[in-house]
Amino acid sequence: MARPRRISGRVIWRGVLSVVIFLVLWEIGSRSKIWLSWDAFAPLREVLGAAGFKKTHLPWIGSVPPPTAVFKAWMAVIGQAGYWQSWYMSFQRVLGGFVAAMLIGIPYGLMLAVSRTAHGINFPVFEALRPIPPLAWVPASIIFWPTQELAIMFITFLGAFYTIVINVVGGAKSIDGRYFQAAQSMGASKWDIFKRIVLPGTLPSIVVGSAVGMGITWEVVVAAEMISGGGSQMGGSGGGLGFFIWNSYVGGSYEQIVVGMISIGIAGYVSSELLRALGHRVTPWLRVR
Amino acid sequence: MTKPPRAAGENRGHKMIDDVVKVYDPGGAAVMAVDHCSLEIEAGEICMIVGPSGCGKTTLLNAIAGFHEITSGRILLDGEVLCSAEKPKAEPGPDRIVVFQNGALFPWKTNLENVIFGPVMQGRMTKSEALDRGRAMMADAGLAGVEHNYPGEVSSGMRRRVEIVRALMNDPAVLLLDEPYRALDSLTKSVMHEALLEIYYKNKVTIFFITHDLEEAIFLGHRVAIMTTRPCKPKKLLTVDIPHPRDYSVLTSKRFRELMQETSEAVHEEARKAFQAGEKEG
Amino acid sequence: MELATEEAREVSAALREAAPFRDLPEGLLAQIAAIARTVRLAPGERVYAAGQPADSIYVVASGRIDHVFKREVGAREAMKRIGRGGVFGWAGLLLGQTGHLATANATEPSVLLRIPTEELVKLLESEPVEGKAAMDRFGRMIQAEFTVPSLLAQVRRLSGAPMTEEMSRLSLTMYRISVWMKSPRPYLMLIGFALFLGSWYLAVEVLRLPRFKDMPGLTTVVKEWTSPSPTYGLSIYTPEYYQHIGVSVWRVTQAFLLATALGVPLGLLMGWSTKFREYVFPVFEMLRPIPILAWVPLAIVMFIATESAVIFLAFLASFFATALNTMLGVQSIDESYVRAANCLGAKRWQVFRHVIIPGSLPFIFTGLQISIGVCWFSLVAAEMVSGQFGLGYVINTSYVMVRYPTIIIGMVTLGLVGYATSALVRLAGDYLMQWRVRELALSEG
Repeated sequence: MARPRRISGRVIWRGVLSVVIFLVLWEIGSRSKIWLSWDAFAPLREVLGAAGFKKTHLPWIGSVPPPTAVFKAWMAVIGQAGYWQSWYMSFQRVLGGFVAAMLIGIPYGLMLAVSRTAHGINFPVFEALRPIPPLAWVPASIIFWPTQELAIMFITFLGAFYTIVINVVGGAKSIDGRYFQAAQSMGASKWDIFKRIVLPGTLPSIVVGSAVGMGITWEVVVAAEMISGGGSQMGGSGGGLGFFIWNSYVGGSYEQIVVGMISIGIAGYVSSELLRALGHRVTPWLRVR
Repeated sequence: MTKPPRAAGENRGHKMIDDVVKVYDPGGAAVMAVDHCSLEIEAGEICMIVGPSGCGKTTLLNAIAGFHEITSGRILLDGEVLCSAEKPKAEPGPDRIVVFQNGALFPWKTNLENVIFGPVMQGRMTKSEALDRGRAMMADAGLAGVEHNYPGEVSSGMRRRVEIVRALMNDPAVLLLDEPYRALDSLTKSVMHEALLEIYYKNKVTIFFITHDLEEAIFLGHRVAIMTTRPCKPKKLLTVDIPHPRDYSVLTSKRFRELMQETSEAVHEEARKAFQAGEKEG
Repeated sequence: MELATEEAREVSAALREAAPFRDLPEGLLAQIAAIARTVRLAPGERVYAAGQPADSIYVVASGRIDHVFKREVGAREAMKRIGRGGVFGWAGLLLGQTGHLATANATEPSVLLRIPTEELVKLLESEPVEGKAAMDRFGRMIQAEFTVPSLLAQVRRLSGAPMTEEMSRLSLTMYRISVWMKSPRPYLMLIGFALFLGSWYLAVEVLRLPRFKDMPGLTTVVKEWTSPSPTYGLSIYTPEYYQHIGVSVWRVTQAFLLATALGVPLGLLMGWSTKFREYVFPVFEMLRPIPILAWVPLAIVMFIATESAVIFLAFLASFFATALNTMLGVQSIDESYVRAANCLGAKRWQVFRHVIIPGSLPFIFTGLQISIGVCWFSLVAAEMVSGQFGLGYVINTSYVMVRYPTIIIGMVTLGLVGYATSALVRLAGDYLMQWRVRELALSEG
């Protein structure tokens, strides 16, 4: 089994090559309006027509703006304060929801892991609510919370909350029982055991859970921004990258849609990586493996 | 019967390890794992390779099995070159079957399905032939009753026996055992040793057995090669002149203790070297 | 006569070494010794085979016995070698067992004491206190030394008449349920749900707390949901309700199947071939961080039909989860399995078929569990933004049209349907991975 080894020159070279090929194909596909009208492609036009597509451009990819145009559009917005304002708004919401999920989710998960009674009372309800996708909560959340900002934060909170709780409970339960026995035999008190064994023992899964939760938070924030900003009935826009995308769509600026998508991709990736780096720092004993 | 006589047509498994060198090159810092190692193993012999953990003996086994390249030298099986400087990696094949340290029975196949895997894959037997032979061989090895269990459902000692039966189903010229009993407790281990010898007396296959346990080595082997720690080469070759078939009474015999005394100093010295080297690395 | 007492003393001594009889009073032990018969066996001779009537219990006085369970027993160690003082053949003492659970063969010349099961039970019944202690020790020994699951190692109650029927699947389930009912768990669960629903009811309908009074109340929702003529047009009696469910399920099914059909092969290839991975994975990783929902407008632009756009979004989410987990699954396979297969003469595609695919199944199914979850997740979002029909659409339009109770109906229904689909995926996984189910069952037992 080829396990991922240290990154060699060959890997980088192949990666760059594949990304370049991807971009070139995208460019060619997007510009199909131009080359498809050439005489040489007359048979292809017929094939498209026979398959029930429009003869003017390739299906699907033909409607996507080409990377060069996207790049131009990006350069155009990069100087605008509004674009960076969207970044700021989204980051704020993600951070708000995420921090709330950590603050509530970790103690809640630890409580479920430590107390059998708490687990028995809470967990079935928790499991019953979990299959409801966070976005289904959007309308209820808007009704409940006084401001739209709080409503969006609540949705992002929900997205991360489930994952964090599940990971904390799983992590705390998987701690080797011998650690507790060892600690007890050395005269540790209950609080000591909690602080010195349960907490650090759960830390790796908290790190994993929050990295996954962070990803979900970004998913959710985009949708919440689009749904609440997109549907004009729901009141005014709160800004944010999701709204940036939706606004570009409504305004017919397709290049900016892709700019928004890439921006969210970068934002999500950077926050997950930051979290992982942080997790690496707080769990130094895992580095050896 | 120190060297067991073999029936006609059975005379396979003569192996030569000739001046083999293996250099690892992790990130430019060359590490010599095997240093001009030469060893000749007779057909039908149990040859035990003893050395401290991490001394490079598994590297040697991997070269024979065809998992790793060698840097120079050659390895021959029955006069045929398996690998050499020109063709550094041998082709893995059913003539040299490895029994792995942690066991490599496929957990998703039942014990019987595991046992018939080799002949069916090679197309040497039809499935029903293989099933008949597999059942017979499992019964022979005291494994009747667990054919349709998954490996995860039987004890670790049984798993090891199933794995050896799986290897023998292929009529290998040589069995390569990589510390197969390392994870077993000493009681199970002793049962497994007797079971291995029992299987060996029935099949007379050449066995190349890696271990760090000197007692195990002397109890099982015709010859014991004590290896130096990294880089690995034979330090001392010991012929065990206790006649086969052996059983557990051998362990308390005078000759056994003499042999232990004769060799334990050499093994201990290498273990100490390996320990110190490990400390330096850490 | 002298000889006979000598022998009786020897029988008693051998019984004394057996764990269940160790602490019995001398008198009772002598009575047991009196009903015991000595049996001599040659090496290889069979004591009994699995399934034969379990009418006697055996104690080893000398020699060695190989004891191999039949597979259904689920013993953690299927085989056991028994020496002096060992007890076997105890199946007749268990609740609902009449046949032996194992096959026992002598491996050496052995001497056994054979004790008729029912006579032993009668003797133990005559001394209820010591008898019960002996039976309890039998139970513990069976569980600990023979690693038989505790469920099976239930010994008979002494006064009770022996049960004759085998422990069937149904009775096993009933037994599990009764154990569960005896534990505090179901009551805690009831308390949990009562607390949750009660606080909902109190907050919205009784106390009318500030923010809560706008929310739909518990009774309103339940009434609306179960009303034949619902105020807002959607309940379990209206065909529209099932139409929305059907549309959403059908969309998820298409997206999930397409994602599995494309994601599993891609993941297998990426895990198996380094070259393929090094070329394809960078693009994959470049696209993956983009939240699926950020694709919504682009999907609408790409697919003029909304239906295809919605399915595409659900597909995309599933696809990434499935492909990634499949790839990780292939990479998780221990290298020695591949080496072993190579040793045994398997060719490249045979390794793929017999090692790579089954070896990565556990990860694939973990991936599929995640995949079905995110599939629903993005479907709901897509339906809310740009759908016609479907549960996401119900939730969103009910908000817009101020039909608040219907929002909750939609949410609860989503939860139920989503749970049902992921349960189906789990069942399919268990069906395909029997080996894993059994291993897990053993490790829990």
